[in-house]
Amino acid sequence: MYKAVGFLCILAGCAGWGHSLAGQERERVRQLRTLSQMLSRMQSEISYGKHTMPELCLLLAELNDDCYSESFRRIYERTAAERGMDFPKVWEEELKKCMELFPLREDEKQTVAKLAKNLQFREENGQAGHVGQAAAFLEDRYRKAEENCENKSKMIHSVSILTGLLLAILLL
Amino acid sequence: MRAEEILSLFPEESRDRWRDVAKQAKRLQEIRLRAGMPLSILVDNKERFVDRQGSLVDMPEEADRPAPEELEKLLGHLCRYSIYAFADEIRQGFLTVRGGHRVGLAGQVILDGDGRIKNMKYIRYLNIRIAHQIRGAADMLMPCLFEEGRVMSTLLISPPGGGKTTMLRDLIRQVSDGTAYGPGVNISVVDERSEIAGSYLGVSQNDVGIRTDVLDGCPKVEGMMRLIRSMAPQVLAVDEVGSLADAQALQMAGGCGCKLLATIHGGSLADVKQKNYMRYMMEQKLFERYVTLERRQGACRIVEIYDREGKPCTRQ
Repeated sequence: MYKAVGFLCILAGCAGWGHSLAGQERERVRQLRTLSQMLSRMQSEISYGKHTMPELCLLLAELNDDCYSESFRRIYERTAAERGMDFPKVWEEELKKCMELFPLREDEKQTVAKLAKNLQFREENGQAGHVGQAAAFLEDRYRKAEENCENKSKMIHSVSILTGLLLAILLL
Repeated sequence: MRAEEILSLFPEESRDRWRDVAKQAKRLQEIRLRAGMPLSILVDNKERFVDRQGSLVDMPEEADRPAPEELEKLLGHLCRYSIYAFADEIRQGFLTVRGGHRVGLAGQVILDGDGRIKNMKYIRYLNIRIAHQIRGAADMLMPCLFEEGRVMSTLLISPPGGGKTTMLRDLIRQVSDGTAYGPGVNISVVDERSEIAGSYLGVSQNDVGIRTDVLDGCPKVEGMMRLIRSMAPQVLAVDEVGSLADAQALQMAGGCGCKLLATIHGGSLADVKQKNYMRYMMEQKLFERYVTLERRQGACRIVEIYDREGKPCTRQ
């Protein structure tokens, strides 16, 4: 009786672990999609709307949910004329804080966090082009992650259940 | 409030240095920053310098000298880290910032293939001109500019720095809001160099009246036609008429039934009559009043008011 319960517990634990890993992969896909959409929006607002960077942050704060909204609002408040803090520094600080817990890869986080610093605040085409490059990078990662996500999820689920079975056999 | 407005022109990390300068806000006229040169300000027409701690000193040797990087940082802050959004202004050599203050820029210009200014780089000279709106500047003028409750087309004439724009701004405000001499009317303003309304992010920073529409940064000729078609103004105001094309656009606007308020550079009526476009405007009788102005002891004064024939009017 105890062995059966233990067997089920190990199996459930491993399946849960697998489910959590697969969930992280799905979350990464979702985050990559959100970020690439945000950067594409930034690019078009620079090209057509000619909004300034703090105004863009306010616009993005209204369009997004999650922690991005709060981060962009804080960037706007901290860099608006009254406070006048350094935009690249504030952008990096706020977005790093926001992305800390997201299952994104380090280079993906860096692309977003260092974006303002790398912009160097150039003319319209250069600025929009640079944001476009970052958006294209994340879009590419998103496409690949989305393609792999289903197969990867199935594989993670299978491996986790098999690992659970193996552990249960070995331990019990 | 005004001191805080001055402080907000500077990035957060350098604001401590500008606190003493900001305290002079009401009398402050200019802040001049030149890379490697003494920081100077103009207060009550007197030049003073700012040292490293931010104290005001009288000798240039004691003044702080900003590095080129500091100027770039300041420019980044003034452009809200978005040079692309201010490219047209930078091309023209000035920025209008919050509060209607103007920042003149100089450095190295980049020309396009046709020899026109494409952009500016190595901006190493900044002149922050503090905007001061003088409410009531046009009070003395108002009784002479109305006929049966309607404002008359008026041309303000003065040398540069003579107070034309200040006078025009207050005239616009009073005509728009309405006065004892006539009710308020709809006014459209073509503010080519953002000097009248001092618009920042589309919002007028100076009080130009409750019935005033401002077309900011638009060339005068195009702007006048656009406003007549779109805003149906009763009065049209422009600053610094300076070409025959401007005069012809004014004539067209006058022909549409608009009253005109405008300014022109010149020492006197006889002086401006030398200009071909001024002769054209007088022949067409575009204006019913010509007002010559001068600055004496720091204040703008009316020298003379002329009728549409160019004859002096009796001042009431």
